Amino acid sequence: MTDIAYTYDGSLEGLLSAIFTAYANKEDPSDIARAENLQPRLGQEVRDVETSMEFALRVQKGICRTCGPIAFDAVKSTSLSDDPATGSIVYRFVRYAMAKHKPHDCAGCTRKMRCGGLCTRGQKNSALNDIAHPSVAPFHELNRTVYNERHRMMQFLRFEHMEGDVWFAQCNPLASVVPLLMDWFAGRFNTQAFMIYDEVHRIAGVYEGKDWYLVKTDELVLPERSAEERAMQAAWKRFYDTVAVEARYNPELRRQFMPKRFWRNITEMKETLPGREIAGSRR
Amino acid sequence: MDIADKLEILADAAKYDVACTSSGIDRDAQKGKLGNTLAAGICHSFSADGRCITLLKVLMTNVCVFDCAYCVNRCSNEVARAAFKPHELADLTIGFYRRNYIEGLFLSSGVIRSPDYTTELMIQTLEILRFEHGFRGYIHAKAVPGTSPELIDHLGHLADRMSVNMELPSSQSLQLLAPEKNKQNILAPMKQIKENIAEDKDTRAIARKCTTYMAENKPKKKTRAFVPAGQSTQMIIGATPESDYHILNLSASLYRTLSLKRVFFSAYLPVNEDARLPVKDAIELNREHRLYQADWLLRFYRFDVNEIIDEKHPFLDPLLDPKANWAINNLDSFPVEVNTAPYEMLLRVPGIGVRGAKSIVRARKRSTLREPELRKLGIAYKRARYFITCNGSYAGTGADFSREGLRAQLAAPIQGGRHGRRADKAIPGQLSLFEQVDTTKPKIMRPGEYQRLAASTDAPNLADTPMSAASPTEARALPQASADPFATSIPEWFAPAVSRQPKPDASPSRIASPRWDSGSIATQGFAGRERIVASVRA
Repeated sequence: MTDIAYTYDGSLEGLLSAIFTAYANKEDPSDIARAENLQPRLGQEVRDVETSMEFALRVQKGICRTCGPIAFDAVKSTSLSDDPATGSIVYRFVRYAMAKHKPHDCAGCTRKMRCGGLCTRGQKNSALNDIAHPSVAPFHELNRTVYNERHRMMQFLRFEHMEGDVWFAQCNPLASVVPLLMDWFAGRFNTQAFMIYDEVHRIAGVYEGKDWYLVKTDELVLPERSAEERAMQAAWKRFYDTVAVEARYNPELRRQFMPKRFWRNITEMKETLPGREIAGSRR
Repeated sequence: MDIADKLEILADAAKYDVACTSSGIDRDAQKGKLGNTLAAGICHSFSADGRCITLLKVLMTNVCVFDCAYCVNRCSNEVARAAFKPHELADLTIGFYRRNYIEGLFLSSGVIRSPDYTTELMIQTLEILRFEHGFRGYIHAKAVPGTSPELIDHLGHLADRMSVNMELPSSQSLQLLAPEKNKQNILAPMKQIKENIAEDKDTRAIARKCTTYMAENKPKKKTRAFVPAGQSTQMIIGATPESDYHILNLSASLYRTLSLKRVFFSAYLPVNEDARLPVKDAIELNREHRLYQADWLLRFYRFDVNEIIDEKHPFLDPLLDPKANWAINNLDSFPVEVNTAPYEMLLRVPGIGVRGAKSIVRARKRSTLREPELRKLGIAYKRARYFITCNGSYAGTGADFSREGLRAQLAAPIQGGRHGRRADKAIPGQLSLFEQVDTTKPKIMRPGEYQRLAASTDAPNLADTPMSAASPTEARALPQASADPFATSIPEWFAPAVSRQPKPDASPSRIASPRWDSGSIATQGFAGRERIVASVRA
């Protein structure tokens, strides 16, 4: 049997189609990766998998039925990672979870299968619990890095007030976490229309007061900042500089908690605040 | 005065407050209202000292009628004074919150005119936030000692967490340094808050319960819960001579009797010149760190305060964390088998934390845990390996399974960064090129041998460790090691050339070098290093 690698387009649907192809062709690809990330092994046959919504939906249904919707949610969020091995790790996990075939522990459940096997209770037998297993442990780790990145964004996202009463935030996460963020911010700031733009993955999440949606874009045209924005940013920067206690100065600790790669999008860490450069030149 | 100037003055005045967290309550977002909260809390930024900024930490005013010796804002200090108007502060909070800079507001205050007047100003601010702006974010409010109970009750229904500052760990110190405050007017609001929280919880539980078939007549307007995230307190460490033993016992009793969520410690920072204050340059940051570690053991690791510290050794070991210290003093209960040990015992293994213990319990249902699996679970295997067996095999090779041997493996100075005041520290155990080093290898003892040695009681180096502490509860009852742990271990740690035999009489004891008592060798800088070298040479 030859060594096979699949390439996919990087989307969740693409990954699920690749998983479908592996099952359909009765193959066990050793790598599933994006085309640009794949370094073919010696003698490896590389096959490009075409994304098919129909296949992806069938895989989704299968994972939900066999492993439970929580496992599928984990697959969904893990596939957002930028790690080059994401495809392979998710595929290994799905293989293991499907083979384990212990869907739901419906024993003693009061719903008596009224849920159609889709409830979220009784996850005792879920493959997600085998956290020390070699196909699950990397999956878990990757899933956690995605959620860590999401939490970082919850911490360090900074909104700016634009003209026309819209709020805009730009971020550079290591995983495409905007879809995971939108629920949180759409709840918290449900009174304001806002947009979160991920400059790395070129995805924008938009909330306009009702429901949020994602936009894939390469071009971003922003309105001017509103009048009070500069004063607010300056006030925040002053607060930030004031609140540190000199006698406890410990920049290593700060960098550990707030990695430098985020600094260019964090208001108080920016070298120059908007409008400041003009004020400086005038002087 | 510009609002930004006010903010600077009042944030500067509040920065020594340490109790700044946004945790303890989950509150979902509501349509048409601004904000929500997360029980774990969210840190939105980190200042240059590495402390998190989660709330807008400001004072309502830094005008104060009190004259507490340690405080920047005391009335005898000449500092710029300012006060927020309630709507100014509320607008600023909302402006910051909508930009995701903060999680909410931390509102403290100096005492302007009277405690009641101050609290009324705070209440006005919180009412504007909660009712005018529909703010559902986090609010932490300080209760000013001496406020009337009705106002505290009102404030508590607007805030999520309240705190009353203990300020100092004993009432004598309080009398000395903060003559206007006393134990009664600090403890009274704490007790009131505790009782109100309990009462509020009860009534809410009863109201939720559906006890009859009759149609419920619930009140139309929902009342806010009283301090749903609980209360906390803070105290200054190192301004007065209280020992760690005293401080930890105090905080344990606060957790027990007043059901506090958290006790904060703040290392004393000299900000004022005062004859009543100790004259010292060193900030006891390392002592504060060890106290927090002990505090975590109390709150999350099911330790009893008597297991962490006892009267004979009233200070925590500066070189070893309290959990490791407990473990090496109770070697009889180790090594534990990770595949079978109960959760409580796993929690007590150095290197395994709450999350690690939980994932071990979760993972071992499915598979046998060996070294690679344990490493994958994310525990600090490097530390834990001396105290565990994985499926029967012990991996802590290379170290003597005895108190001194493991101490040498686990002791480590606190990492305080390469900058700032904690940077210029003597590194204990650092070898010098010109130092004579005895390289005789000690015999390495394995746990089995240790248990056998422990069974025959004539082992000389085991005579001072407590025996047969099979379970944590038994260990609690037993007396601690009779010899001073510092007397035997510190010289050994500082100079490898000194023989390993404990010599309680000859070695420098706590009394001989009183500066060590503060637990802050690392912060004493160059002078401290000289002294240590000198004492070792002598």
